[in-house]
Formats: sequence, C-alpha cells, structure tokens
Amino acid sequence: MLEPVAQLATRLLSSAALAAEPGEKAVAHPIQLPELTNAPGGPSLAYLLLIPLLPLIGAVLCAIYRALGLRNKSAAWTSVALLAASFILSVMACLDVVASGTGRAIVHGFEWINMTWGAGEGRSISADFSFYLDPISGLWMLFVTGLATLIALYASEYMSGDVRNARINRFYGAFCLFVFSMACLVMGDNLLLLFLGWEGVGLCSYLLIGYYHDKPSAVAAAKKAFILNRVGDVGLALGIMFTFVAFGSIEYDVIFRKTAELQEAALAGATIPWFVEAIPLLFMVGAFGKSAQLPLYVWLPDAMEGPTPVSALIHAATMVTAGVYLIARTLPLFALNPDALVWVAWIGGLTALLAATIGMAVFDIKRIMAYSTVSQLGYMFLGLGVLAPTGAAYHVFTHAFFKATLFLACGAVMHGFAGQLDLRKLSGLWGVKGWKVVSAAMLVGCLCLAGVPFTSGFFSKDQIIAEAFVTSGPGYTLLGLIALLTAGLTAYYSFRAYFRVFHGPVEYHPGADHHGDEPLAEEEAKENEVAHGHAHDDRHFHPHAPGWAINAVLAVLLVGSLLAAVPYFIDKDHKGWVGGLVHASPTDARVLPDGAQVIAGAKHSFFGLGDPHTVMYFVSGAIALIGIAVAWWLHLAGRTSAAHSRADALKRRLGAIGRAAEHKWYVDEIYNVIFRVPLLVLANLFYLLDKLLIDGLVELFGALPRWFGRRVQPIQSGSLQGYAAGMAAGVALLLFLAWAAPALVVWMGR
Amino acid sequence: MLMLALLLIPLIGAVVVAVGGERESKHVALGWTLLACVAAVASVFAFNWSDAATAQFEMRAPFLPHYGINLWIAADSVSLLLVLLTALLGPLCVLGSYSSVHHRQRLYYASLLALQSFVTGVFLAQDVILFYVFFELTLAPMFVLIREWGGANRKKASVKFFLYTFTGSILTLAGVIYVAWARTGLIETAAVNAGWTFSLEFLTDTARFMSSSEQTVVLLALLAGFAVKVPLFPVHTWLPLAHTEAPTAGSVVLAGVLLKLGTYALYKIAIPLAPAAFVAFAPYVAAVSIIGILYAGLICWTQRDVKKLVAYSSVSHLGFCILGLVAMNAVGVGGSILYMINHGLSTGALFLCIGMIYERYHTRDMDELGGLASKMPVWAFFMVFFSLASVGLPGLNGFVSEFMCMLGAFQAGAAWGPGGTGGVLGPWFAAFAATGMVVGAMYILYMVGKVVFGPLTEPRGHHPHETLPTDLNLREITVLTPLAVACLVLGVYPTPVIRSLEAPIIEQLAHVERYFPEAEAVETSELERPEPAGASIVAAEGGLR
Repeated sequence: MLEPVAQLATRLLSSAALAAEPGEKAVAHPIQLPELTNAPGGPSLAYLLLIPLLPLIGAVLCAIYRALGLRNKSAAWTSVALLAASFILSVMACLDVVASGTGRAIVHGFEWINMTWGAGEGRSISADFSFYLDPISGLWMLFVTGLATLIALYASEYMSGDVRNARINRFYGAFCLFVFSMACLVMGDNLLLLFLGWEGVGLCSYLLIGYYHDKPSAVAAAKKAFILNRVGDVGLALGIMFTFVAFGSIEYDVIFRKTAELQEAALAGATIPWFVEAIPLLFMVGAFGKSAQLPLYVWLPDAMEGPTPVSALIHAATMVTAGVYLIARTLPLFALNPDALVWVAWIGGLTALLAATIGMAVFDIKRIMAYSTVSQLGYMFLGLGVLAPTGAAYHVFTHAFFKATLFLACGAVMHGFAGQLDLRKLSGLWGVKGWKVVSAAMLVGCLCLAGVPFTSGFFSKDQIIAEAFVTSGPGYTLLGLIALLTAGLTAYYSFRAYFRVFHGPVEYHPGADHHGDEPLAEEEAKENEVAHGHAHDDRHFHPHAPGWAINAVLAVLLVGSLLAAVPYFIDKDHKGWVGGLVHASPTDARVLPDGAQVIAGAKHSFFGLGDPHTVMYFVSGAIALIGIAVAWWLHLAGRTSAAHSRADALKRRLGAIGRAAEHKWYVDEIYNVIFRVPLLVLANLFYLLDKLLIDGLVELFGALPRWFGRRVQPIQSGSLQGYAAGMAAGVALLLFLAWAAPALVVWMGR
Repeated sequence: MLMLALLLIPLIGAVVVAVGGERESKHVALGWTLLACVAAVASVFAFNWSDAATAQFEMRAPFLPHYGINLWIAADSVSLLLVLLTALLGPLCVLGSYSSVHHRQRLYYASLLALQSFVTGVFLAQDVILFYVFFELTLAPMFVLIREWGGANRKKASVKFFLYTFTGSILTLAGVIYVAWARTGLIETAAVNAGWTFSLEFLTDTARFMSSSEQTVVLLALLAGFAVKVPLFPVHTWLPLAHTEAPTAGSVVLAGVLLKLGTYALYKIAIPLAPAAFVAFAPYVAAVSIIGILYAGLICWTQRDVKKLVAYSSVSHLGFCILGLVAMNAVGVGGSILYMINHGLSTGALFLCIGMIYERYHTRDMDELGGLASKMPVWAFFMVFFSLASVGLPGLNGFVSEFMCMLGAFQAGAAWGPGGTGGVLGPWFAAFAATGMVVGAMYILYMVGKVVFGPLTEPRGHHPHETLPTDLNLREITVLTPLAVACLVLGVYPTPVIRSLEAPIIEQLAHVERYFPEAEAVETSELERPEPAGASIVAAEGGLR
C-alpha cells in the first residue's frame, strides 16, 4: 500500500529535479556510473528520497503545530508515524539494494551547490541533495530510523508533561529534524551533503540539549557541545577541501574510483602524495569531535542535560556514531595513510580506557552511561584503526540497541523518581511494584555492555579486541591489553550501577529537580503537599511507575538487544551479517599500500594460546565475569543501605586518585585553564588594543588638523616679514616639487 | 529603463516624502519602496540570465563629454543581485522603523529613500566618476540618519563615519584620475583618436600598459577608500561606533548594503584597474582579512552590548568575503559575491531583531537582558534562525558563501591537484580562516545563550511597552519573514544564483589571471571571452552609442 504512494511522490520529486537544467547535469556529473534508477527492468529506488523527506515533513508539521500553539500529542503521533514510515522505507531500500546485486544505488534528488568554471576534471563543483545507498549506509539507516521511531514513541510518554505548554512541538520538531540530518549525513552521495547532515545533527543536538532553555547548565552544555563539535568540523571542512582539490570532486563514486587507482599505484611502488595523506588525518579530527573522542570528548557527558530520549537517540545510539561512520565510509582513503589508522586506533583505545575510569567513579547513573558511550565509541575507533571495520560496524549496531535500552531505562528511573539519578539514593528497584520491565531492561543492557558471553556486546567487542592482537602495528598488542582491561572496567562500572540501583534493600529518595522535566512527579508532589504538608518527604513520595509506552519500548529494545547477537551467526563467511555488508561496500579496503607486510606479518596466535579469535571468547568472557563479580562484592554483597557499600572503604584507601577520577580527572578544569582563559584574555586584550591603539591612532589623526591649526594660527600675525618668509618658503617648496616630480614619474615608470 | 526606474523611484519618493505631510510620511515612503520592489522583480524577469556577463538595461547620456564622463548605467548579474538586495531591504527598513521613529519623520524617511537610490546608483554605474559620485553621496543621508536618530554618542559617531570614509575616498578619486590620465598618454602613442574617458569598460584596458609600480600606487589609492568602506582590519574602527549609534534601519542599510559598496568596488574597479598589483597584494590582503576574521571575532566574544557584538561580527564576516575575493578564482569570487548578499540578509535581520528588543527594553546590555525566549518565543525563533544563518549552518545561506570563500582560497595556487586553480593563496589561508568557524560559533552562541536562552532577566523597573505587545506584532513578523525565507532559499537552492554569477566572474577574472605566477600553466577556460582589449576601444571610439 505504501509503495505506490512512495513511487508517486518520488516520481514527482525526481521530475522536478530533472526539470531543473537537464543539460547542465552532464557537466556537473562528468562520471556517469551505472545507476539502479536508470537500469531498465531494475527496481526503482527513487522512493529512497522519502527516507530523509518524511522526517523533514515531520519537522515542518511540528513547526506548524507550534505556530498554532497546539497543546496535545499531535506532534508525538505525527513524528512516530512518519519515522515509522521512514523506517519501513529504509528496510525496503536495503532489501532492494541487496536484491539488485550492484551494491549501491544513487538517487538524484535536488540541486544544491553547483558551479562550473571551465571544462574538464576539477573545473566544476557539484554537491546535490543526492543519496547514496550501499550496505554500510543501509545498515546505519536501519538502526537510525528504527530506534528513532521507538524512542519517539517512548518520548510520547516521557515528555507528556510538556504538552501543557506547547513546547512538546519544539521537542518533536528538533527530533524529526535530527533524523532528517542524520539521513543526509549517512546517505548523502557527496561529502558536502554529509557535512550538511554533520552540522545539522550538531544543531539538533544543540537545540535538544538546551531544550530546558531556562536552565543555565543546559544552555552551557548545549553551547559547549556545539563549539567543541565545531572544532572537529573545521577538520572535516578542510578535509573536504583537500578532497576536492586532490580528486576534483567530492562525490563518493569519483573518490572511491580514484582512491582505488591510487591504491593500485601505491602497491606497485608509487608514493602517495602528501595532500592525499592529509585527508584522513583531517577527517579524523572531525570524527573525534562528533564521536566524542580524546581530546574533544568533554562535551558528551555534559550533553546529558538534555531530555533522556534525546540522550538515548542522539548521544548514545546514532549521532555520536557519525564519526565512526565517516571513517568507515572513507576507509579506502584511510588505507592510503596507515599513520592515520594508527592514530585512530590509539586515540580510540586511550579514550576507551580514560572514559571507563571516570565511569567507575561518578555517581550519576546517566553520566555513567554517558562515559560508557565515550568508552564504547573508543572501542569502535580502535576497531577501525586495527582494520576491523566489521567489528566496528557490528559494535555500532549492537551498541545502538543496548545503549538505547540502558538510557531509556535510566530515563524511566529519572521520570519515576523526580529526576533522581544518584546511585547512592536509589536501591532495590526490582522489589518496587511496576518496575520489573525497567529492571529487566537494565539488566539486559548491562549484560550486553559488560560483554557477558553470548550477549550481543560480547560478540561485537570480541571481534575488535581479537583483531587488535592480530593486526600488527606500533604497540597494537599493548592496545589489545588496554582494550581487555577496559572490558573488565566496563563490566565493573555497568554492574556497579545495576547492583546499586536495582538490587539490595528497597530505598529511594526523590530528586529535587523540578525544572519541568518531571511534571507528573511534580503534580504528585503537589498532591502530597496538600495531603501531608510537605512536598519532598521521602516517606510520602510515590514513585511514578512507567506506563505502557515506556514499558513497551523497553521490552522491544530489550529483545532487540538480545537478538542483536543473532546477525553474528548469519553469513559466517564474513564474520556475520554485518561483516557481509561491510564486505559488499567500499569500506572493505583492507590492503595498505606500504602495509602489505602488516597483514602478512600478522600474528595468528594469542600469546601462544592459539587463534586469537577463539581464545578471545574465553579471555574476554572471563574478564567480564570477573568485573561483575568485583562489582557484586563491592556494591551488593552485604549492603544494607542505598548510600553505603564496601566500595567506600576502597575509595578511602585510594585517596586522591579516587577523588580525581570522581572529578573526571579535572579535564574540564584543565581545558578551562589551557584554552578558554587564555583565549578570553586574548579577546579582552584585542578589545583594549582596538580601543586604545587602533582607534587611538585614528583619533590622533583626526585631532592633528585641529592641533596643527592651533599651532599655525599665530603665524597670521599681520607682520610683513612673516608673510615674506612664508612666500619664500612656498617658492622653495614649489621649486623642490618641480625637481622631484620628474624623478617620481621616472620611478613610477619602472 | 528598468534600472533607471530603480534609481529614480526612491529618489522621487524621497522628494515626495520630504515635501509631504509629517504623519503619513511613513506610509508614503513604504509605498515608494514597494514600488521599487516591483521594479526590481520586473527586472528579474526582464533580465537575460543566459547572457549574465553582458551589461544589460544600458542607458547612457553624456555629462562632460570633453572629459569622457558619461551618465552611464547598466547591470550585469552581479550588479543586479546587489540591486535586488537593496530594493528588498528598502521596504523592510521603512516598515521596521514604524514604531521607533517619532520626530522629524519626513526627513528620516526621505533620507532612507535617498540612501537607497544612491546605493543603487553605485551598483549600476558604469562610469567611474558616476560611481564615485554615488559612492560619496551615500555618506550624506547616512550621516543625517546617525546624527539625528542615533544613540547617545551619535554626534561623534556620525562625524567619525563621515570623515573616516570620506578621507579614504578622496585618495580613491585620485587613483581613478591617475588611471584615466595614464590612458590619455597611452592613446597618443597608440594613435587612437580619443581623449579622456572614465568609462569603466575602456579604463580596464589601461592596466596592461601601466608599470607594476604605477599599478601599486593606484591600488593603494583605491584600497584607501574601499578598504575603509568594507571595512578591513585595521581600518575598521568607525564601524562598531557607527553601528552602535545608528538607528535600527540605519544599521540595517549600513550592514546590508553600504559595506558591500567596498567589496563590490574592489571587485568591479580594483581588479581591472590594477590587476598586477592586485595579484601581488592578494596574499597580504588575505592575511589581513584572516586577522580581521579572528581578531574581530574574539572581540565580539567580550562584548556586552548586543548591537556592538553584531557590529564587530560584520568586520569578521567581511573578512571571509574579502578572502574569497582575493582568491581570484570562480569559487572564491562567487562565494564572495554571494557573501555580500547573504551577509546583508542575515546581519540586517539580526539588527532588526535587536532593534525590536531595544524598542521594548530600551537597553541592549546583555547583563540586563536574558532568557527572552520564555517571554518572546516568536522573536526568539527569528533571532536563533538568523544567528544560525550568520554562523554558517549548512542549509542556510551563510554556509554556502562561507564555504565557497574558504574553498576558493584553498584552491588558489594549489596547482598540485586537479581541483586547484591559479592564484596566490593556498591551503594555509583556508586553514587559518576555517578556525574562524569556531570563533564565530563561540560569539554567536555566547550571545544567543545570554539573550535568548537562560533564565529570564529584564532590566530593573521594566514596564511593558505602551503600544507594542510583549512578543512581536504582525508588522514585525512581516518585516522578518521575507528575510528568513530568503536565507532559507539561498541556503537550500543557491545553484541558480551561483550559475548566474559564473559568466561575469570568469570575464572579470580574465583581467588578473595573466598575472598569476604560473600564468602559462593555467588553462584559459573556454567560457572566457577572448575579445582583445584594444578592439573595444577602437569600436567604442567609432561612435558612442
């Protein structure tokens, strides 16, 4: 039923696009590759355009609702319906691309930026709203639209308190705009459209982190996120410029074709030009900004100021994986510069470790999840860096499910306990009526995150860690050990949160956070106030158990997190279904020009124990269980209250190290001193300079005539000698000029 | 004829408003500016876009034939787009002033109309003297606007504005006259029967017979006037003062079109009149623009007066514009011209938004204003929208031009790749300019975070305005909506505009390309018009049309 509508709409769209200067297209796209849309008899993929278009329509509708001041759930249901339709179309599109056998589809939508200044290669630039679907972008679109639909549904309950003041429309507007931007980022057929999506998701992130815009901390966090992302964006923008100059185009098809040529040449002994080697290094900077890696990760934990559905979708499952996508997408370029891959691997590994140590120390469960996201993203980069794109992409996929589950479970807790997120103030939620689904979701999420055997996270993470031992590179074995250590820490911190909040004695204290985030709880608090005369008395606080929407979404995600392990067993030839997708896309560029020996010299043994891939199952499984056992011993065994556990003694023992970890290693403070303060001083210095020196000179120049006039005035004294002297001086000047002018002309004639 | 109409309608309007009644003057002014808009729209349809490089709607009358000075107006696509911008801003300025100007309204609206006419004249003039006359004439109404309806420090601001820009322009006139004079000498030797001329079309041929030191002197003279007008660091200090003190509509015109006179003049006059010197100076001018981008951007970050912040941001933005221009390739110059339009739209709109706040709160101090989104959601929407346009968010207009300017600078001289072009800049220039993206985000979000978001703060003892509602009224929304639509359209579908700029830019760049260091390596593109320079002189002297 949907397809005819989609076909009709896309036909209209594509005819409009074709009507715009058909003659010019030949110039704008000098390289015509076979396209599915033009293939006779092949399936028409023009409906692909609807995948980004439907969320955009959703955003426009929400804006209209806002203008009309609607105070109901129209925005929520509109968004859910359109996002669901977008998801169904994504599924159809992926199936069609796979069925077509050509591996990719390009659909031209709408002209964006086009300029021609001559004939031939590199004499025109073309960046259109054209979409490129191949297995990798298809994979991303599947979980982006799928999770967006589920989380929009979840938010319909979570954000219900905002219906009263009509700002719910703003929430859903930005939410839909985010999915549109993400679709442009993932499916854009050129780097500039990727950049549009890249900055577009940054904008939506900004708007949604700062959704509670009367809260200063939210505004500050939003600003921080945008600015740090912009630092990365500078790298990406420069990378795009390098790409254009180096390849004469920014369209993937051309880039991949030329990259393949360069790779062949390099394998034959040619050197890669420096400007091609610069591209991956610059893209890397962009990826580190968007995906919150060292040194730009500090914005992501603060981004938790936004509503929890936003944290789940944007800051855990989808947007932050954009950096991984960028590198996976342009992996053929990275393969031309092995140094860049080493950087990616090391930055990823170190970020994973650093974020895990912070996650062990902080008490806010949502922040724990935020640091965990940073840490898991580090794994993904590590995977890309050690040439395990399959592992990285699969980890993106599984992580999207289980991290969304974890965040939404945290959100349910936050929603129910008036914003309480401190694990020292919540305990034993399994035992509270109506919290079973949330508890189960949290348990499954933690199991996956910890990498307990046979969960989805176990299989995806293993591929990355094992590959770190297989691929040889500078210190890659150490990197593998770091990854193993981090896996243990991950198991510890995730179960620390789980054991504290969901097990042990039943105890809870409501949060004091009433910025409108939890209006339902607020209402209850008011009722309490009427009945008992005290709003925040813990004994009279009734947690607000989640309703059907939250529970249903959590249940679906819970099952999804578990089922995400299944693809690992499909298509065993390519290490799973995701591996098959990677294999069928340009991302499968595993041969390094000067790194042929990197692969050849790879160790196929894990410290003499045998095939790393097999050994890793046991090693990482054991490490995960050890981590959980430690968490159990420190945080559950013998715990009698929410606030205290055995870990307190350990923390006292650790002293300054523990405190520093709890304060996030003071990285924010250090950045403030190193970057923000000097820049602020410089800015004020500039302003002073502007006022005093630069404008001062102007003022001085302006004052000179007056000053001169005052000085010269006395000469007009009326005495004849004075005038005579003046006349003589004038004549002398004229004579001098008469002599000097020809000399000047001669000089100028040179 | 249409161009003459665009020039004369506001001028006649100014006279009519000046002699008409005080109370209805604003409505009369609105009528005349709308009429100019109609003429502008008509010219869009009448213009032959497929031949955009050719000056169209040509009208010429001799003024001082002995010196070859003609009243000669015409428009190619570059001029036409800037004229369109001027015509669009006209009614918005008038409508935006409805509730803020109460005394001497006739003079106020007459000045606005006259200003519009003179600015249009600058963009249309094909004769350098005519150009110069209009260029200087714009000072008078702007001076009046600042002096009569400005803020507390208006007297100083108006005098500084006038003297600073006027001083620079005098040197410009000298430079232009020098070129005309140099041409008279050349013609005697070339045995062409002609005397003085100030027509741009003929003057452009003079440069190839001028030595490089002559060209340097000419360029410095031209820069003296144009760089001040842009304004380029370090001759920018008149701008923050003038902007802060000017009334809202004055700021809109100042940012929207007056600053573009400088960049347009550099493109239209400096490039052909002193091409070799332009190429030689390009790296220095680019360096100065980049310093301006970062320097002014950081200064924005320390401001407390919202209007001053936006004023300094203009200095920063125009740095990008000049950077693209001195890249001297199609992408850079195209981006630069697009930047002129885009900056006019988004910064003009920001000034309007700030004016609306000032009318309600009588302050622009960020310590006294905050969190207005919770009180004025409609205003907040527009403010955030235009801020994002100004910060260069893809999908809105600012990005297209900013990226093109940077890409142009990057390409210029990057002959190592197929996407490189001739020129004297390179990746480093683009890299330094790109850090301006971060600085831009810093100050714009600092402003938005303080004024629009955050906890609500209002000046102590604030009373609701007697006539204006808390949030924007329909008139104010009407003022901002066309600008928002234009920002969006130019952000999503700039291709038609860019394509229309291709031909005139390529023609203009032919003047400088031969002076590039690797000139012989650069292929001259097929789109270039290979008409020899001497031919047009001879043809023109055969009979002035």
